[in-house]
Amino acid sequence: MDESPKKELAVRRNTSSHLHRKEETPSWHLGAPVDIFFRSSPCRIVVVNAQELDHPIIYVNLIFEQVTGYRADEVLGRNCRFLQYQGSFAKTRYPLVDIRILTEICRCLSEGFDFEGERLNFRKGGSPLMNRLYIKPICNDEGIITHFLGVQSFKEANFDLSPLRGLVWKKSSGAIHTHILGDMYSQKSLFVHRDCSFKKCCPLYKVSDEVLVVNILARLTPKDVTSLGSVCHRFYNLTKDESLWKLVCQNIWGQETFSILESVARRRRLWWGKIVRELTTLEAAAWRKLTVGGSVEPSCINFSVCAVGSKVVLFGGEGVNMQPVNDTFVLDLNEDCPEWTHINVNSAPPGRWGHTLSGLSDSRLVVFGGCGRNGLLNDAFVLDLDEPQPTWREVSCSTRPLPRSWHSSCILDGTKLIVSGGCTDSGALLSDTFLLDLTMEKPVWKEINVSWRPPSRLGHTLSVLGNHKILMYGGLATSGPLRLRSSDVYIMDLSEEETRWKYVTGSMLPGGVSTCNSAPPPRLDHAAVSLPGGRVVVFGGSIAGSRLETKVYILDPMEEKPTWRILYVQGRQPKYASGHSTCLVGGTRVVVLGGHHTEDWMLTELHELCLINLKGTD
Amino acid sequence: MAEDPTAAMAKECKVRLKISDDTIFEVEYAVAMQSQMLKNALSDTGTDGTVPLHNISSEIMAKVVEYCAYHVNAANTISEKDVKIWDQEFLKDLDQATLFNLIMATQYMVIHNLQDLICQTVADRIKDKSAEEVREIFNIQNDLTPEEEEEIRHENQWAFEEEGWPEIQEEVRLEG
Repeated sequence: MDESPKKELAVRRNTSSHLHRKEETPSWHLGAPVDIFFRSSPCRIVVVNAQELDHPIIYVNLIFEQVTGYRADEVLGRNCRFLQYQGSFAKTRYPLVDIRILTEICRCLSEGFDFEGERLNFRKGGSPLMNRLYIKPICNDEGIITHFLGVQSFKEANFDLSPLRGLVWKKSSGAIHTHILGDMYSQKSLFVHRDCSFKKCCPLYKVSDEVLVVNILARLTPKDVTSLGSVCHRFYNLTKDESLWKLVCQNIWGQETFSILESVARRRRLWWGKIVRELTTLEAAAWRKLTVGGSVEPSCINFSVCAVGSKVVLFGGEGVNMQPVNDTFVLDLNEDCPEWTHINVNSAPPGRWGHTLSGLSDSRLVVFGGCGRNGLLNDAFVLDLDEPQPTWREVSCSTRPLPRSWHSSCILDGTKLIVSGGCTDSGALLSDTFLLDLTMEKPVWKEINVSWRPPSRLGHTLSVLGNHKILMYGGLATSGPLRLRSSDVYIMDLSEEETRWKYVTGSMLPGGVSTCNSAPPPRLDHAAVSLPGGRVVVFGGSIAGSRLETKVYILDPMEEKPTWRILYVQGRQPKYASGHSTCLVGGTRVVVLGGHHTEDWMLTELHELCLINLKGTD
Repeated sequence: MAEDPTAAMAKECKVRLKISDDTIFEVEYAVAMQSQMLKNALSDTGTDGTVPLHNISSEIMAKVVEYCAYHVNAANTISEKDVKIWDQEFLKDLDQATLFNLIMATQYMVIHNLQDLICQTVADRIKDKSAEEVREIFNIQNDLTPEEEEEIRHENQWAFEEEGWPEIQEEVRLEG
């Protein structure tokens, strides 16, 4: 940002102290919030040496001296924590100083993030100051943090500083974020003797924040937790607690989703409160264009992709002269400049197109079926990307489902491959469903027997809901002597003793929820993605009349009457949206590649539907 | 020791718990073992002495013992469905203060199943309630100024909308 104010300060001399002169000039890049501090009120500036033990102060400005009463020569070489002691003779931190803010500061400093927040400080004489603090790490040219810059503006704090008898709830003037606590996470905070004049009729005051957050609030939905913010100050502050949102996420979306999101959150420095909110409301959903390096050559169409961690894996496809290929490519989206890399694998499966590729838990993936050089296939191969020499291994089974292409598949529980429908060699459509449990030493294909099957189809999608349900949507389905695009939704609960397909909504069958105006038109070759919470998002595909399908639809099967809704998504959608391959990477980005009529044969221009705002804290 | 000490203890021992008003609760070893905290304490000191639990009142202790005693017996003998019915009966007439005191007690004594039961009950009471209703339920005073309330409501607008996601505002433009 604007570099001149900081350079000016670096030069300014504090007449009453001796400055420690730095050997090298760090690069000063300050962002907007610091600029606002400079302009709003006289600011105290503190610079500490990040590379020395206990982060000693190396510079303070005149305002610091004037406001705090401490002279520069009294504080140079010390850590800033003396500001939390009430006066110069105190030996320990004043109990009203918010421990959580301090832990947050420590966390930010150790991880190299900016910190912004409010904190209780004391002048040398012992009078309190409410300190609005902004800490920024300063890096040298090699990106190593060498110093921390602290910019502080202050306001007077109105506190009763008489000896405390226990926890009290008080609000300092104007600061809605201030939260005064004792030692939050210790056992002794569970039983406190309250100041009798203070709300003894409210039983919640006996319960500590930790107990409230971990045991009660964490059980609520994001919506409930958020609306609790309007109850009172205490609740509002609790809804700002990141650990609460992490627990809420774990509870409602499961440990697996939480782990996936955690790696994204850590990498991009996202606030959990925001992640949970955006994944619930999808208000930040946006189409983005993604340009990557490398290329997929020989170029092909009708390949299949899946996500493994942060990587997109591509296998097979129809190459030149309609010949099936069997190359494996990987694109790692965690890299700064992602590029397609061809993986040299051992024993690649026979080339194919119209197959399915699905990601298992850990770093493994499985391919099934498709159209090979000599007809349709029904073999399954597994690849472990983390092996030093990745090797495709065939899953040997005595009995297999019928060979097929354009079927759909999904992975249940990270370990079971489910395959349904598709087209056989003779051109007939299938309506069966098979399950392959890959945790077994000798996996066996098991047909899921149901009393009634939906009409046979190809080009449909199977999505997983939670741990034990699957949802089938769309496709080109048999309807008497015809084959018509379908808009039907079926769900199967595999934990039930008598598994069966339940018809949810659509247009073909009586019963189910009747469709409304925002129902998607029937389609095949579309993309369907499962979101946390068991919702399904659908877009693209081939619809009747060769109109280009532009809208994104969302369905929540958990509702009493599941209804399709149109999801508003910012940005420009991919123009060609049929027959593409999609996968959900990191729980937050739907990557879209290929597709019919695309001109991007090299797959260097991808589209992604970002479900949340992936830019870090601003 | 050759024989399993815990089995012998379970049959015969009583554990003595001294609570806030200095009364002594005598509970069976198996019942006391429902509390992880007691389990740890007794494995160090044995069952001869008295375990002080100054923070818990007799009323609350009675409830805790009632629950633990039932669940020790029910463990292998009573069906899950019946246990759930008993649990609901147990909770039925408990007032707010007792509920929260029980939460504190189970946190301190580390009794997971009772704590889960009560916390889930409290969470269920808050579910889908407006802020005003939550205040009424827990007798919380609203210490937010009208300006603060307005600001918070604005910040959390999405939680007050009927549906979870915004309506479509405009057609999504195609890539040119």
